[in-house]
Amino acid sequence: MNLIQLTDIKKVYHNEGIDTPVLFDINISVEVGEFIAIMGPSGSGKSTLMHILGFLDRSTDGKYFFDGIDTTTFTDNELAVIRNRRIGFVFQSFNLLPRTTVLENVALPLLYDDSVKDTKTPAENALIAVGLQHRMGYMSNQISGGQKQRVAIARALVNNPAVIFADEPTGNLDSKSGATVMHILQTLNDTGKTIILVTHDRVVAEHAKRIIFVRDGRIESDELVPTQRRAQNIVTED
Amino acid sequence: MHILKQAIRGLTASKSRTALTMLGIVIGIAVVVLVVSAGEGFKSYINTQVAQIGTNTVTIQTQVPPDTKRRANGSGGAGQANQVVAITTLKKKDITDISRLKNVAGVYGLSTGQATVSYDNVIKNAYVTGSDAERFGIDKGVIAVGRGYTKDEDRSLAQVAVLGSSLADNLFGLQDPLGKTIRVGDYAFSVVGVYAPKGGLGGVSEDDQIFIPVTTLQKKILGIDYYFYLIASLTDNTIADTTSADIADVLRSNHNISDPNKDDFKIQTQEQNISTFATILSASQILLLAIAAISLLVGGVGVMNIMYVVVTERTAEIGLKKALGATNRKILLEFLIEAVLLTVVGGVIGVLFGALLAYGVARGAQAFGFAWAYIVPVRGVVVAMAVSCAIGIGFGVFPAKNAAKMDPIEALRYE
Repeated sequence: MNLIQLTDIKKVYHNEGIDTPVLFDINISVEVGEFIAIMGPSGSGKSTLMHILGFLDRSTDGKYFFDGIDTTTFTDNELAVIRNRRIGFVFQSFNLLPRTTVLENVALPLLYDDSVKDTKTPAENALIAVGLQHRMGYMSNQISGGQKQRVAIARALVNNPAVIFADEPTGNLDSKSGATVMHILQTLNDTGKTIILVTHDRVVAEHAKRIIFVRDGRIESDELVPTQRRAQNIVTED
Repeated sequence: MHILKQAIRGLTASKSRTALTMLGIVIGIAVVVLVVSAGEGFKSYINTQVAQIGTNTVTIQTQVPPDTKRRANGSGGAGQANQVVAITTLKKKDITDISRLKNVAGVYGLSTGQATVSYDNVIKNAYVTGSDAERFGIDKGVIAVGRGYTKDEDRSLAQVAVLGSSLADNLFGLQDPLGKTIRVGDYAFSVVGVYAPKGGLGGVSEDDQIFIPVTTLQKKILGIDYYFYLIASLTDNTIADTTSADIADVLRSNHNISDPNKDDFKIQTQEQNISTFATILSASQILLLAIAAISLLVGGVGVMNIMYVVVTERTAEIGLKKALGATNRKILLEFLIEAVLLTVVGGVIGVLFGALLAYGVARGAQAFGFAWAYIVPVRGVVVAMAVSCAIGIGFGVFPAKNAAKMDPIEALRYE
């Protein structure tokens, strides 16, 4: 089942009268349940591509079908609603709210969804899914970096999204915590969740099932990973 | 509900900054509440004062004819000099004629001066009020001990005096003043009565004055034969205006005045007096409220300033919230509510603080003998809270708009 269809996506930044093209004729098709790594050196346009895929930015030209719907003409509010209901984000620097409990951080996306009445139960379940149910009441600054990223994953999961975007999720973590985070993402993918990972690290990328390599704003290669690396849940629970 | 929680989290992040920002609002609102409350207190004081003089009286004062003033105004500062010209036309005959009017129950005339009043070694400078003996039937002041002087004493230039309560205390302390001889200027007076405390401002208060027969004051001390002003009590206060006109006719006829513009007197009913006080009161209230408004304006600008800082500080947080699906409206609302919470909490503290200050003023006034009621009008509190809320919205909306229109990607990148 097709989830994402990008057709001839272009992106040009206009800055002080100068046009800087960053993406040229990008065509990507993503099926439900895929685990894709978007790779590329810095400046390749991979972040811009992820922003467009995650509805944080708009393409200058081309069509973006999400779940069969053309989203190209969506308003800012409609994009906000899609992000809120259908997308989960995990960022490199965790981006947790300070002076706020783990549970409240996880529940945050639900606060912007007026149809959700009970925010606590889904947040608890998401924390169970990342193995952090015993840290619910902690403040976000009282836990380790690896735990912070797991909280961020729980937050990305809480609205049961169609796809999770993870932008360099292991970039700020030691290798053990990084492995745990990748293990969680793989476990989620095993249960059918679509995951799109952005990384410049080949080893991290090989934890996905398919790698799209971006260079100079164009897709250089789009290949399946012959043997997916499996991450071990190394961190013994503290 | 969660927006409120977020706002509280935001405000408690930097407590001293929040407190300082609130201060401007607190002071402004406190002044508003103080002014409104003190205004009510002052009104209550005026009402008791008026009740004491008698609500059914008219006051006839001398004045430099308006016509003269107009001419004098042309020559600049000369108008001031005209004010001190003594009008000497208010005489005993005026009192007699006014007392014959139908609606007039009684009239008495007064002249005033200042003199040193002494007993033993205690010397006081006091206002000396000379008034007709009729005063004691008209004025609402109560004589606590002794009696008022009589018409006969007035007629015979008797050197008798009734003391205001504070003056009596000051001169005699614990001694009984009745029958004692005091000196007023160069004259010896015998104390025949002491008023019960009336309240009022020190120095001007009747409690600090000495009351003697007006003829004694005129003939023996001042060497004059005219009155400074008259007070008439009316039988029917509802036709006070008509009676005032009748009194004016009597005076014009007695003073040979044909043109009302050349009146050398001014008649004020108590109602006019009250409305004069009300005008002065509301003018000073408006002035004070204008000052409070400036304080609130400055406080509001402070709130706006801090909210701009807060929005910049939370750029990354705004980016995150937008990425997670917060619409521009939700972000706007979050910051707006934070600003309103800031000013409303400031408003509540300001109301309490203002009420406390007003209580202090009331107690202070009461300690000085004013019949000053402590009232915090609900209307004032409601207005104060509405104003603080409006300041939060008015000054919070621009920073909040800034937050709402942020680009999520730019904001997320912000360190």
